[in-house]
Formats: sequence, structure tokens, C-alpha cells
Amino acid sequence: MASSPLDTDAIRARLSGQTGQRLWRSLEDLADAPEMRAYVEAEFPDLMRAGSIDRRTLLRLMGASLALAGLGACGDGGVSGKAPLISRARNVPGVAPGTPVIFATSLERDGYGLGVLVRAQDGRSVKVEGNPLHPASLGATDAFMQAEVLSLYDPDRSRSFRENGRERQDGDPLRLLEPIRDALSAGEGRGLHVLMEPTASPTAFRLVQAVRNRLPGARWHRYAPLAGDARHAGATEAFGRPLDTLYDLSAADVIVALGGDLFLTEPGSLRHAADYQGRRRNGGAATRLIAVESTPSLVGAKADERVVLRPRDMEAFARDILRALDDPAGAALDPRARRLASELRGAGPRALVTVGREQPAAIHALAHRMHARLGALSGTVRLLDPVVPPVAGDESLSALARAIEAGSVSRLLILGGNPAYDGPADLGLPALIRRVPFSVHLSSHYDETGRACRWHIPQCHPFEAFGDTRAVDGTAGLRQPTQARLAPSFSRDEILGLLAGQGLDGMALTQATWRAAWAETGEASFRGRWEKALEDGVVEGSASTPVAAAPRDAPGTPNAPPPGETDIVFAPDPSLWDGRYANNGWLQELPKPFTKQAWGNAALIAPETAGRLGLSNGAHVEIGVEGRSIVAPVWLQPGQAPDTLTLPLGYGRTGAGSLGNGIGFDAYRVRPTAQPWIGSGRVRALASSEKLISTQHHHALNSDDIIRIVSAQKPVAEERPEPPPSLYPPWTYDGYAWGMAVDLDACIGCNACVIACQSENNVAVVGPEEVARGREMHWLRIDRYFAGTTENPDTYFQPVPCMHCETAPCEVVCPVNATVHSSEGINDMVYNRCIGTRTCSNNCPYKVRRFNFLDYHATPLSASEDVMNPQVSIRDRGVMEKCTFCIQRIGEARINARIENREVRDGEIRTACQQACPTQAITFGNLNDRESEVSRAKASERNYALLGELNTKPRTTYLARIEKQSAGDVEK
Amino acid sequence: MRSRARSITTPVAEIPLAPHFGPLWWGGLLVALSLVGLLGLTLVSSLIFGVGLWGVNIPNVWGFDLINYAWWIGIANGASLFAATLVLRRHDLRTAVNRFAESVALFGVICAGMFPIVHLGRPWLFYWVFPYPATYQVWPQFRSTLTWDFWAISTHAIVTTLLWYVGLIPDLATLRDRARRPLAKRVYGVLALGWRGSVRHWSYHQAAYRVVAILVLPLILVMQSTVAFEFATTLVPGWHETRLPLHFVATGLVQGLSMVLVIAMLLRRFLRLERYIDDYDVELLGKLTLASALVCGYLYFDEFMAILLSGPRQQIAGLNRMTGEYAGLYWAAVVYTVLIPQILWIKAARRSVVATVFVGLGISAGLWFDRFSLIVGGFQRDYLPSTWRSYAPTITETGLLVGTVGLFAALLLLFVRFIPVVSMFETRHDEHEEAS
Repeated sequence: MASSPLDTDAIRARLSGQTGQRLWRSLEDLADAPEMRAYVEAEFPDLMRAGSIDRRTLLRLMGASLALAGLGACGDGGVSGKAPLISRARNVPGVAPGTPVIFATSLERDGYGLGVLVRAQDGRSVKVEGNPLHPASLGATDAFMQAEVLSLYDPDRSRSFRENGRERQDGDPLRLLEPIRDALSAGEGRGLHVLMEPTASPTAFRLVQAVRNRLPGARWHRYAPLAGDARHAGATEAFGRPLDTLYDLSAADVIVALGGDLFLTEPGSLRHAADYQGRRRNGGAATRLIAVESTPSLVGAKADERVVLRPRDMEAFARDILRALDDPAGAALDPRARRLASELRGAGPRALVTVGREQPAAIHALAHRMHARLGALSGTVRLLDPVVPPVAGDESLSALARAIEAGSVSRLLILGGNPAYDGPADLGLPALIRRVPFSVHLSSHYDETGRACRWHIPQCHPFEAFGDTRAVDGTAGLRQPTQARLAPSFSRDEILGLLAGQGLDGMALTQATWRAAWAETGEASFRGRWEKALEDGVVEGSASTPVAAAPRDAPGTPNAPPPGETDIVFAPDPSLWDGRYANNGWLQELPKPFTKQAWGNAALIAPETAGRLGLSNGAHVEIGVEGRSIVAPVWLQPGQAPDTLTLPLGYGRTGAGSLGNGIGFDAYRVRPTAQPWIGSGRVRALASSEKLISTQHHHALNSDDIIRIVSAQKPVAEERPEPPPSLYPPWTYDGYAWGMAVDLDACIGCNACVIACQSENNVAVVGPEEVARGREMHWLRIDRYFAGTTENPDTYFQPVPCMHCETAPCEVVCPVNATVHSSEGINDMVYNRCIGTRTCSNNCPYKVRRFNFLDYHATPLSASEDVMNPQVSIRDRGVMEKCTFCIQRIGEARINARIENREVRDGEIRTACQQACPTQAITFGNLNDRESEVSRAKASERNYALLGELNTKPRTTYLARIEKQSAGDVEK
Repeated sequence: MRSRARSITTPVAEIPLAPHFGPLWWGGLLVALSLVGLLGLTLVSSLIFGVGLWGVNIPNVWGFDLINYAWWIGIANGASLFAATLVLRRHDLRTAVNRFAESVALFGVICAGMFPIVHLGRPWLFYWVFPYPATYQVWPQFRSTLTWDFWAISTHAIVTTLLWYVGLIPDLATLRDRARRPLAKRVYGVLALGWRGSVRHWSYHQAAYRVVAILVLPLILVMQSTVAFEFATTLVPGWHETRLPLHFVATGLVQGLSMVLVIAMLLRRFLRLERYIDDYDVELLGKLTLASALVCGYLYFDEFMAILLSGPRQQIAGLNRMTGEYAGLYWAAVVYTVLIPQILWIKAARRSVVATVFVGLGISAGLWFDRFSLIVGGFQRDYLPSTWRSYAPTITETGLLVGTVGLFAALLLLFVRFIPVVSMFETRHDEHEEAS
């Protein structure tokens, strides 16, 4: 041991590390520091010599044993889950108890990295924000990223190894791993098949290569149910090699979106939304966005024009556009396609055609040709070498299935993913996996796949591990743990490292990758770069450089539309994605953007088609696809293409956990390998039905006042009349006057703010029965309205938080003064004064108040206490609650400002919803500051008060939506 | 003279003093008490688990709790108003039915009074609406109609109790004098407050009785209006009507009358008090009920016209009550409170137990539908269509309704067992006047 037993300086230095002010890194090794053990020995030398015990000794011993109880957990390398990241024997500089610490780290979806900042408080990760430095998030988040922190504390997460289903808690997890490693590594990997999820992680690539070198006989497979293989196939068809397409919406004048949802489900969705809205905000509404789609998407709701097509007509339509680009007068073209082509041609290099991941390769190839024809390949579109490498034929899941069938798989290692659930039904994977003599599954849950495998290894959450990944544009981002592991568990990279003989230390494995990547600069500068990258969350200047490519020959021959009467589209669920979030209460309870359905899914069907089949909402149908069938309830979705059923994936799980099992129907059961996205099938109406849970019903907009739409030329939302008389004297707000503006033109309805609010404010999950009764607790809801025909309606989204009315109707009716106005104009809710008459909710015209009808924080559904934001009180049964404008954030900023003897700066306070919003639709700040962003927003002529005629004087106002641009408007 | 008076008093007084009561009474009490048990179960489970056991939601935060409250308070108010009017006008009818009316009012208040407490999210803190000098010096919100309601209902409970009790004192003394068992003697003695029947006693008693009765009159208007204000002063389009207090006062009157009518007819029949509640009394009650039902009819007409004259949102909300999901209840209210009572035009119907009980219970049910239609209908067409949501009661909530009906019935059954059902002294007084 190098240091003396009393070298507390060394410990302190070690504890403080070389980190930046608010950033932690490399903390696990602290717990194992020899200095720490020495320090403990020196501090409590009497422990071993306790003889006759007097009162003082007893007290001392009790104190010491309490102290040791904390320290005793140090020293098992961190995998036990018990090791504290930091042992506060002394204060750590820059870290005060109760003060949040922000970690920059990365998440991965479909292999692509998403940069996040995680706020941890006292060793618990409590909130996720977007990383402003990350190109794919720009500081925003989506609902899934927000909800990751709840998944982290999922009580159903696996906590132990299992062999044949039995928990193995005997001894050291490391000792359990050794025989597994040995068994997998035997025979140089012959008969070993490894199945991974697609990833962009450089460390994973490096380790896979290292394992390949050690075990040359092993075969590798990759599968994710929502991976965009058709994009690569389309690029191969057009350019001869697989390429990623990176869209630049900020440069596009005319955007034609063929399927998919640019703003929600496509990789880079946050960036798309931000770029689109940024351009709209700066350049007025000069962009034309045209959505060509079969099922309503957020892009379609935002689009200036929406073309509804059956999936089977999509390819012909794309072909028509391409042909019309060359030959505008061509006969037998769809007139809509001809018009779109003329618009695209007008925009030239500033035109953009995007294709959804569910569309076949041919359409992707056609879009590439359009781009080439328009000259957009150097403008709005950049081609990159695949960030997530495409899956070759022999690497596919079906290749693995064939190998198991052929009996050539003796050992199977599944690193993450859940193919037994989300694999195509025709492969019959659960049974096949059971046939493999030795199978190992690394997963955060003991799920469907784990049950089919012999061994289950608990996987740690991304917030518990080191690693790296790359964003859609290739920018590398680092991942670091934001807290200690909750249970002994391992990351994918650690298991790969174990197989590669490089050890289990996730940080060392990741560092090794980057040490090699930065080899030229030497070790000294490596530390600096590493720490900078950890602090930023991204590796500066690591974005891929675009590659040049030109389409090869003429487009291929048109593909015949599939037989069958009804088109079937499989789609990621806007709440559960591919099913991985099935056990996440926040996401289960999140009303989907269009249907507002929660706690379940339904097959989306056009109202006209449903009428023809005699179906109403919730009626059961039998859906048959290629010989398999499932029973599902239908949802009548205005704007859905006729004779087209959209089946949201991700429900009907059996191994998700106590929350997510048995909810909804499992569309994977009819998903074929050959046509994983779009197929055809038949639909048969059944006599049975079920009641679907939805938070809002189909109500047409009964008034022009609620959602206001202004023309781009004359953007005046309301004539500003004299304020109506009030019985109450006017009140002046001398200090701060907090207010919010919500830009309806920017809002895309993505739900990120809803989950952000839930996470920040400890909003309870109430469960399906309670939501069905109409008791969901969301402080911020997104109202959705349709206008126009049911075939192709306009869809409007309106986020509705508490309006913080200056003359708040709720305040005067509360008999006990439990809701009162603050001197800064906030409508405060005093939880411990509330007796629960609920009359405030009666008198709230916006109905934003939420009542704890039951003790929602003590149900099996309620979130772990660990995920609770310690700055927000948890509400009791029987009290009312509602949006507070994130008053804890206001308080924090006010305190900081007061300490520094200054005013709160504009932009210093960002509400949780505002921070999450990808399009910056929400602004918040001090209305008394004429220069603040929110004051300027409210000065806009588009500003209007919702139900302003009631004279409630809401502090939250809306900016009217700018009406859709017709083609003529833009040409001018 | 004296013997005559005694002969009148005896049968009425014999009822509470009789050592045994028929099996019918016991059976009735058993049913009523089991419903009270159900009420207890409902209340305890609501207390333990929260009001989430009910069907209430956002926006329908009030369900059966407030419907039942408004309904019971209507019965209580109508009955009080009726009783007080009789006392003040020294109407002949008062002899026969005052005691019922006062009792119906009191028991109605008891049933109604529990709802504002049990409906709270945290009922154990109900006293926070009371202006007491709390440590934090937080006072109730005096602008809130719920604070007004607290004052109204507590005043109402006190005055109703006084009216009932003051009217009872001479009869309690009679019971004391006639009681044979020492315990009964003692209990009635304490309750009779040392009444000896002196002229001074009588003179004070008459003054006090009339003063309390006078107090009842404005109070009833205030009480019903306050209940109506809880709805009318809000922004809710379906509630925001200036005519609502009038609606509540007038419909409360018919409700109270109908309840008095039903109970008078039943007592007359089952306790064989035809002599004391004679045909003339019954006829008069029937005519009053009919007249107030006609007033109700006018009010529904007025409501319809008021809706047509109001703003577009109020129109949509109001018309939705007549045509929407719960339109059936609205029209049932009209039928039960206005149309069916029209059979009381027929003399035979006014004298028939079956017809009057049917009409009376119908009116009560109709008024319950009316309150339901109002309270639930308020939110079915609120300002933002996104918040429109319906409401359906749960079993627990139904237990509240059935349970309070049981409580009301049990109190009535105990009343007829232990208290003179017809005012003995008033009857004696009438007989004296007739004789002299």
C-alpha cells in the first residue's frame, strides 16, 4: 500500500477526483480504494479491543457500527450493487448533501445514441433532461427518454442470476459468471451463436471484434424489432451500398414525408422537430410540409397538406412523383403526385423527401433518386456510412432460427433484447431457444426470452454503466453511471469484455476504446479528452463526414401490391415503443397523441371502414396475416387510410413485470419475417368487444376560440378589447410576475412535456381502472381536437397546464384557503391545508386540477420512492394538486439569485415541460421584464388567452397556430 | 271537559308508552337498521380508502354525495317551511301534521348534514371551515359558498331542532306524567325541562314556539339558496344560472310537502290515527302538494325559457341536460314532480293511501333525479370539449343513498315509538276550542 494509514488527504483527493464542478466520473473505483480501508482502520482502532463495556464504550461502539454499516459495503468492485459511489467520510468539494449533481450520459434507441443529462440527488437519479451539446437532442427529450429514470427503479427489474428459472443467489455473482464464460468460450466458439441488439457503440464493436478473434467459430446475429433495415436496403438498391440518410429539415423549403413519423419514431426525431420548428420560427411559415401517410402521425398533424394513401398505393405514388419530376406532363399520373413533384422541383436542392422506416426498400430507393434528381443530395440530405451497421443476411434473426432448427447451435448468448417476445411469429423463437442446450440471456428483466433460456444474467440499466454510442449523425457520445447499481448486474460491454478476456470493468473497457482512438495524442492528453467528453457527454468533432454517392441505374420495376383486402401496418407504439417500456407506469398511462388511449392498444381503423364492417370503438376483430391470427379491439381513427389496419406493437406482454403483463394485444403474434412492416391480411368482425381506456373522446371542436388559427399574412389572434370589468380591485405585481406562453404553432403533440412534468413533480400513476374512471393525475395534459372530415381531418394539439389565472376562480371557492395567490402571481396549492372539497375543480374552467381520490402513492403501481424528486412533496390522499409552474425550480433560482445579490435572469428558470420540449413551444419567465423571452412571446399578435372571455386573466397564454400553407403561398 | 281531554290524549300518548309494539314495527326497524349498517360500512370504507370508492372523477368531482345532500336538505327545508308556516298561521292542520313535518325536517337535516363532512377528501379536518383561532391564524375563506353552506347548515340544524323540541315540551311533560316505568319517567322528565303546564309556561312556550317558527322562514330561503349558490356562483355553464336559488327553494317545498304527506298517510293508516289526522287534513295536504307541483311545473318551464335566453355555452349545457346522456333523468324529474301529482286533482286520489304515497314518493324520487341531472349535467358540456366526461355511481355510492334512506326510516320508526306523533297539547287545545 503506497499511502500511510492516516493519509486522509489522499482519500479526499481521490474522493474529489479531477472532475468538474458538477460532474461525477470514475466513482466506482473510489469504493474500492485501499486508502479508504486504511482510513477506516485508523479511524476506529478500538473496535477490535472492546473489553468490559461501560456506557460510553457502548455508545461509541453503536456509533461506530453505524458508520461501518455504510463503509462495510465498500470493496466488491461495484457489481454487488451495494457499493456507494461516494462514501462521505468527509465532504466532497463541490458536492453538498441535497444538492443535485448532473451527469452527462447517453441512451440508445434502435442503436442510435441520444444524449441526456441525468440529475442525481444524494445518489439517486431522479430526472432526465436532454443534453444541449448532443446533436440528436439539442437539450430536448422525448417521452421515452424522460421515462428511462422510472425504468431504472422498476421493482420488477431482475436482481439475481437465474438458472432454469430458479434464482441463484448463492455467493458472488462473479463466481457464477465464470462457468458461464467458460462454457461459452469452449471450443473456440464453435456452435456458439451470439444475438445482440443493433448498436452504434464503438466499444461494443471493438469488443465484438476481440471476441471474434478469440472465438473464431462463433457466429453473430443482430435483431431489433424496429430496426430500419429497409433504409439500408433502399440505399443499396439506389447506390449499391448501404448508407444512412441524414435529413436537414432546417434547410428544406418543401418537405414530402412518405410514411413514418419524422417527429416521433424516426431516428433523429427530436432533431427533426427542432430543425423544422426553428426554420418555421425564423422564416415565418415559408416551409411546405406535405405528409403522405396511411395512419395519422405527428408530422401529418403538423403538415400543410396531408395525403392519405393506403400502404399498397405508396410505391406507385412515389414512382409517380419521380416520373413527374422528369416529365411533368406525363399522362396517367396521380394529380396529387404531379403537384407534389412540381413543388419539389420548385424547391430544387432545398426540397426533401423523407421515407418512414416501415416503407419498403423500393420507396427508400425512389426517394434517393428524387433527391439526386433535385440536387438535394448536397443540400437537405446527407449520406453517411451506416452508423448502425446493417444486418447481413447470415446475421439476421431468421438465420439464427434456421441454425437452431438445423441443430448447429449448441450455445446461445443473447445480449439484451427480447426476441422471444418481439421476434416474428413465424420463427417460433421461444420453442427454438428452448432447444438450445446452453443458452444465456442478459436482460434487465427476467422476461419472455429469459424464461426460454437456461441462464439469465441481470443487465444493468444504461444509467448504471459505462459505455459509448453514436448519434444519427455519427457523433460519439459517452455513457457513464449516474448512480450505484441497484443490484448485481452487468452491461453488455462487460459481458463482451469478459468473453474477450478484457475484464469486467466497464469504464476500463470504454476507456480502452477511446485510448486507442486517440492514440496519437498520448496518455496525458487522454485524461483531459476523456474527462471533457464525459463532462460534455459527446466527443467533440466526431460526427461522420458525408459521403458522395450517385444513384446507379434506372429504378427497378414496380413491385406488385400484396394480395389480400386489408393492408396491415405494424407500427411502434407512441407510448411503449417496441414493448420494452411495458412495465413503465408513466408510459403505460401516457395518453397516445391521437387516440388518447392509455393502458392498452387497439388496431387503428378508418371510421368509414369500421362503419362498413359494423364496428365501433372497442369492438373485437380477428386479424389474420399469413395464416396466423389475433383478436384485437379496434379504434376508429379519423385520418386513417381506408381498408388499412395499423397494429401498434409492444403490448400483450407476458414477461414484462407486474405492471405490464397482459395489457393490450400482442401484434408481434401476426408479424411475419418476410413483411415485418406492411403486409396484407383479412379482418373479421367478432361479436365481442371491450371498453378501451381513453382520457379524451372524439369531440369536434365546438368553438373557434379554443384553438385559434391565424393566417401567416395577418397573424392576429384576437382583437384586444378593453378588459372586462371585475369586482376585484386590480393588483400590481412589483417583483417577479411569472407567466408562460405556449406556441401552438410549435407544439407537435409529442407528449414529452407530459412525462417530464410527471417525472419532475412526482405525479402519481393511478392505473387502468382509475384512468377509465377519469382520474388520471397528469398536471399537464395535451388536448387533441379534430376538425374537418373524418377521412382526412386537421388535428390540433394543445398542451394545457394550470393557467395560473390572476383572478383565479378556484381560489374564491375554497372554504379553507388551500389555494391562494402568491405575490408573484402563481396560483399556489397548499396541500396540507386542503381538506378535499374539490370545489376548486368545479370552478376551474380549464379542468386542470387533479384530485387524489385514493392513496395513489401507496398502490402496487406507484413509482419507487427513489425516483421521487426530493424537492417536490408527495401528495396525500384526499388533496387536490395541479401544475405549480415548477415552483421548486423557481425557488431554487430565486435563492441562487439572492445569494449572488441579483435578479433572476431570463431563461434561468425553465419549467420541466419547457425543458423537455423539442420545438421550444413553451416559454416561461418574468412578465415584469419587458425583455424576457416570455414577454416577447406574449407581445406577439398571435397571443391569446384560452377562455379569456371569462376574465380569469390566465398567466398561461397561447400563441395561435399559423394556418396551413397552400402551395400557392409558398411560391409567392 | 277534563275527561274529554283525557280521552283525546290517551290514544296518542299510549303509543310511545306502550310496552310492546307490533311485529311490523320491529320488522321495519330491522330493515332500516340494516340499511343504517350498510351506511356505516360505506362511510367507514370511504373513510379508510378515500372518496375514490365512489364514481366521482375529474370533472365530476361531486356525485351522489352532493346529490344526496341537496336532496335531503330539500326534504328538510320543505318540511320545516311547511311546519313553521302552520305554526305561525295557527292553521288547523298544524295540530295533525306539525310533529311529522318537524320530525321529517330534523331527520332530513341529520341525513343531509353528514354529507358535507363525509364527502371531503380528508373528512377528519372538516372543522377547518369553522372560524376558530388556529395557531397559524388561517381563517376560512369567507367568499366561498362552501363556507356559507357550513353556516347555513349548522344554523338550519339548530333551528330545526329547536322548532321540533320546543313544540315537543308540553307533550314530553304529558308522557312524563303518564309513564309507569321509573326510567321512562326520569328520561321524559329531564326532557320536559320541568314543565308544569302553568299559564306562564304556556305563554312563554307559545312565544318561543312562534319565534322559532319565524326564524325558520328566512332560514329556509337562505339555506336552499346557499345550496343553490354552491352551483350557481360557479363558472360551470350548466350551473351558472340566477334562477337556481328559486328553483331550489320551490322544489324543496314540494319535496318537503310530499314527504310529510307520505308519512302522514302512513301513520294515519298504521297507527290508526284517522281521528287526529282527519280527511280534511289529508285533503289540504294533497291540495298543497298539488299546488306546489304546479309551481314546479312553472319552474321547469322557466328553466327552459331561461336556457333559451342565455349565452351559447349555457344553452348547449342546458339543452344537453334535456337531450344528452342523462336526459332520461331530467324528463323523469318533470314527470314525477309535475305530471304525476296532477292526479291529486281527483278527490278520491287525495284520500287514497296508495295514490298519495305513490305521488309523494314519486315527487321525492323526481327531485332526486332533478338534483342528479343538475349536478352531473353541469360538466357534460363544460368549456373545453376535451374535458367532457361522464359519471356513473359505484355500489359504494349507492350505499350512501340507500343508507341514508335507512337512517331516515329508522329515525322515523323510533320517533313513532318514543315520541307522540301528533301534538297532544295542540289537539287538546283544538278540542277545547271546539267544545267551548
